[in-house]
Amino acid sequence: MSEVENTDVSVANEQNDYVEDGKNKLVVKCKFCGSKILDKKSAKYIELEKDLPLMQQDNNRKEGEIQNEPITEFYHVENMYTFENIGFTHTVENCKYLSCADCDAGPVGFYDMDTKQSYVAISRIEHA
Amino acid sequence: MAKTYDYLFKLLLIGDSGVGKTSILFRFSEDAFNISFISTIGIDFKIRTIDLDGKKVKLQIWDTAGQERFRTITTAYYRGSMGIMLVYDVTNEKSFENIKNWIRNIEENASADVEKMILGNKCDLEAKRQVSKERGEQLAIEYQIKFIETSAKDSLNVESAFYTLARDIKAKMEKKQEASNPAGARSGAHQIRANEQQRKPTSWLSRCSLL
Repeated sequence: MSEVENTDVSVANEQNDYVEDGKNKLVVKCKFCGSKILDKKSAKYIELEKDLPLMQQDNNRKEGEIQNEPITEFYHVENMYTFENIGFTHTVENCKYLSCADCDAGPVGFYDMDTKQSYVAISRIEHA
Repeated sequence: MAKTYDYLFKLLLIGDSGVGKTSILFRFSEDAFNISFISTIGIDFKIRTIDLDGKKVKLQIWDTAGQERFRTITTAYYRGSMGIMLVYDVTNEKSFENIKNWIRNIEENASADVEKMILGNKCDLEAKRQVSKERGEQLAIEYQIKFIETSAKDSLNVESAFYTLARDIKAKMEKKQEASNPAGARSGAHQIRANEQQRKPTSWLSRCSLL
């Protein structure tokens, strides 16, 4: 896992119109139902590499197989109570997956049991 | 981290297996996400933010699915919980009779002033009903607990039940605060604001230490 925080964020800021001062400029919502996940300016932009299971797994996949995709851009949430609305799954290999509290779509990110930090995958949410 | 809310309440869903506790927390809808990765793992808890009389309240709601035997839910599980939803299934007589056992379990293990509410779930299944609404109301009167019938399937009364429980916890807390600090009771709003100001330097420091 490679973490790029604070120092390199300024570069990302110029590329993303949804990041301001290293934080989410806009409200973070569920892509599917619009449920409010994070208030604006409540989470830090961070680049790290993490494989997340696909939100919709192929029905024809092999039994027990999980289809993943690598994600590189996240919002880092230090305190879980910063979330407006969110679901935490049961623990799988030291991590809990995050899901929409209203429609249960997910994973929209993950929670690290060791560090107690949450990460929201930017490609899996909507800004508003 | 700046505290961005006024209250945080930990709530538990308690009741026999199969009464629909998980459906109250988890939609398991028939649509797109039924086959999703999330539904196979299941939800441990949810965080919801509600507005109660202008105050921002965070609810952390825990399911107890899989630990339904009375003896397995002990002090450790109840620790820190401020509200408990006692759930039975209106189509299952036994789950209703067991509410009394659950209340006894709470009295033995949970904090004495935990706020409780009884939910008669699955009220959409009228044809299969075994427990009348009147019996639910009667039980609630007996224990002096609030009661409402819900249908997690139709999202009927679920949200209002959580608002009711949260409002009762908030009222109890405010009453306690006033009792312990009678001088500040009249200017309660100002006091909260003062506390928030004191927290701000902490947030700045914690952010700084991460650099």
